[in-house]
Amino acid sequence: MKTITEAAILESLRQVIDPELGCNIVDLGLIYSVSVADAKIAVVMTLTTPGCPMHESIRCGAQNALLNIDGVEAAEVEVVWDPPWHPSMMTEFGRSATGVGTF
Amino acid sequence: MSAAAKSSKAKPGSAVTPFGAHAPSVALPLAFILTGLLALCAGTGWLVLQPELLATYHYNQNVIAVTHLFVLGWICSVVMGAMYQLVPVALETKLYSERLARWHFVFHLVGFTGMVWMFRVWNMKQVGHFGCVLALGVGLFVYNIARTLRRVPKWNATATAVGAALFWISLAVSAGLFIAVAKCSYDSTEGLAAAQGVRTLVGGLRSVAGFMSRFDAIGAMHAHAHLGGVGFFTMLIVGVSYKLVPMFTLSEIQSKRRAASSIVLLNISLAGSFVMLLLRSPWKLAFVLLGVASLAIYGWEMVAILRARKRRTLDWGIKYFLTAIGLLFPLSALAVVLCWPVLPLNVFTGQLENVYGFLALVGVVSLAIIGMLYKIVPFLVWFSRYSSQIGRAQVPSLAELYSTRVQALGYWTLMAGIGWTCMAAAISSGVGVRLGCGLLGLGVATLAFNVGLMLTHLLRPKTKPFAWPTPPVPNPA
Repeated sequence: MKTITEAAILESLRQVIDPELGCNIVDLGLIYSVSVADAKIAVVMTLTTPGCPMHESIRCGAQNALLNIDGVEAAEVEVVWDPPWHPSMMTEFGRSATGVGTF
Repeated sequence: MSAAAKSSKAKPGSAVTPFGAHAPSVALPLAFILTGLLALCAGTGWLVLQPELLATYHYNQNVIAVTHLFVLGWICSVVMGAMYQLVPVALETKLYSERLARWHFVFHLVGFTGMVWMFRVWNMKQVGHFGCVLALGVGLFVYNIARTLRRVPKWNATATAVGAALFWISLAVSAGLFIAVAKCSYDSTEGLAAAQGVRTLVGGLRSVAGFMSRFDAIGAMHAHAHLGGVGFFTMLIVGVSYKLVPMFTLSEIQSKRRAASSIVLLNISLAGSFVMLLLRSPWKLAFVLLGVASLAIYGWEMVAILRARKRRTLDWGIKYFLTAIGLLFPLSALAVVLCWPVLPLNVFTGQLENVYGFLALVGVVSLAIIGMLYKIVPFLVWFSRYSSQIGRAQVPSLAELYSTRVQALGYWTLMAGIGWTCMAAAISSGVGVRLGCGLLGLGVATLAFNVGLMLTHLLRPKTKPFAWPTPPVPNPA
C-alpha cells in the first residue's frame, strides 16, 4: 500500500484556492494540522474571517482534494477559529500573491 | 480551547458538494441586480438625452420620473436583491423565505416601471395605484428581512443598521404614497353608493389627502426623499460597511462603541430632520449637524479599520466603495449649506439642490453599489458554477471572472462623469450636463461589459483539470 505523506497532502491542498484572495489555502496559512491514520486523513484548518461566505465551498474543496490522493479511503476537514488566522501564518509566496504586508 | 465550526467525513467516489447554508438561490439576487443594471442604463441615457433635467429646477414630472427610475429601478433593485444575499451571509443566518422574495420581485418590477411611466405622463392617480403594488412588494421585503434578522445569533452594529433601514424604508414608502394621495382627486367617489366599501376606502384616502395638503408640497417631497436616501441607503452603507470593509481588507472593527454611536446618532438625526423638513423649520440645521457628526464618527472608525488592515493592496471594488464613503463628506457640507436658515431662495440655490440629489444618488449610493457589485456578482456566479468544482479541478478566482483593467477604467470615467455633471448642474449648463452624463454612460458601459464577462461563466464554466499526478514528494521518513 502506498504511503500517504504530509507533503503529499499539502501538495494536494495547494490545488484549493480561496477565491476572494486568489491564493491557495496552504500558502495562506489556513492549514493548522494534518494527520494520517489507516488511509484516513484528518485536517484542521481555519478561514481568514468568521462568516466567510465561501466557508462551505472551501471546506468541501479541501475535502475533495484530499479524496483525490491515491490510497485515501476517507477524509475529514474541521474548521476552527481558535487560534484566529493572522497574516504572519502565510508563506512568503502567499503574502506576495495577495498583497498582504510583511509581519 | 478549540472552537470548531464544522467538520465532516467523506469517502472517495462521493465528492463533497457545499450546501451553501447561508446563501439563497443565485437566480433571485441576479434577477434583481440585472433589473437594476437595465434601469441604470435607461436612467443614464435619459439624462444624456434630456440634460435640462439637471440643468434646470427639479420640481417637474420628468425629474421626478427619472429620479424614481434611479432610486427604485436601479438602487432599490440592486440593494434589495443584494440584501437577500448579503444579510444572511453577513449576519451568519438563513433567509426566512425565498418564495416571498420571488413575489417581491414581481411586485417590485410592476410597481416601479408603472410608477416611472405614470410620473412621466403625470397621472398621479395611477402613480398611487402602481405605488401600492410597489408598497406591497416592499412590505414583503421588510417582513422577510425582519424575520431573517430574528434568527441572527449575535446582534451587532450591522444588524441594528439593517433593522433601522427596514423601518425607514417602510416610512419612506408610506410618505410617498401619502404624497401621491394628496395630489389625487377622487371625484368619482361621488357617484358611488354609500354602502360600497370602496367609497369608505376612497373617503379615507381623501382624508389623508386633506391632512397632507396642510404641509408644503416641496417640504413633503424633500422629507420623503430624505427618508429613502439617508434612512435606507446611507444607513445600509454605514451598517454593512462595518462588516464588509473589515472582511475584504482583512481587518476588524476597532471600536464597537464608535460603530454603535454612529448608527444611534444617525437615527436620531434622521428622525429629527424628517420632521423639520416636513414642517420647513429652521431647526433642521441642528439635526443635520447631528447627522454630520454621526458620519464623522463613522469616517473615524473606517479610517481606524483601514489603518489596521492586513491586506495592504486594496482592490478596485473596495476603492469604488471607499470613494463613495469619502464623497459623503462634500455631500454633508452641501447639506449644511442647503439647511442654512438665511439661505437665499434663488436659481443657484435650486441648482445646488440638484447637485445635492445627484451627488447623493449617483456619487455616493451608486458608486458604493457598483463597488459592492464587483464583490457580489462574481460571488454569485462563482458560487453557482464553481463551488462544486473546487478541489476537483482548477477553478478561477473571483477577480479572474472579469477584467480589472476595464474596472479601473470604469472608476475613472465614473469619477470624471460625477465631477463634471455636478459642476455643470451647479452653473445650469445643459451642454456640460450632457457631457458629464456621457462620461457616466461610459462608466456604466464598463460595468455592463464586466457583468457580461462574469455571466459568460454561467454558460461556459472555465475549469481546467489538475496537473495530476503531482510531482512525487520525497518521504522524509
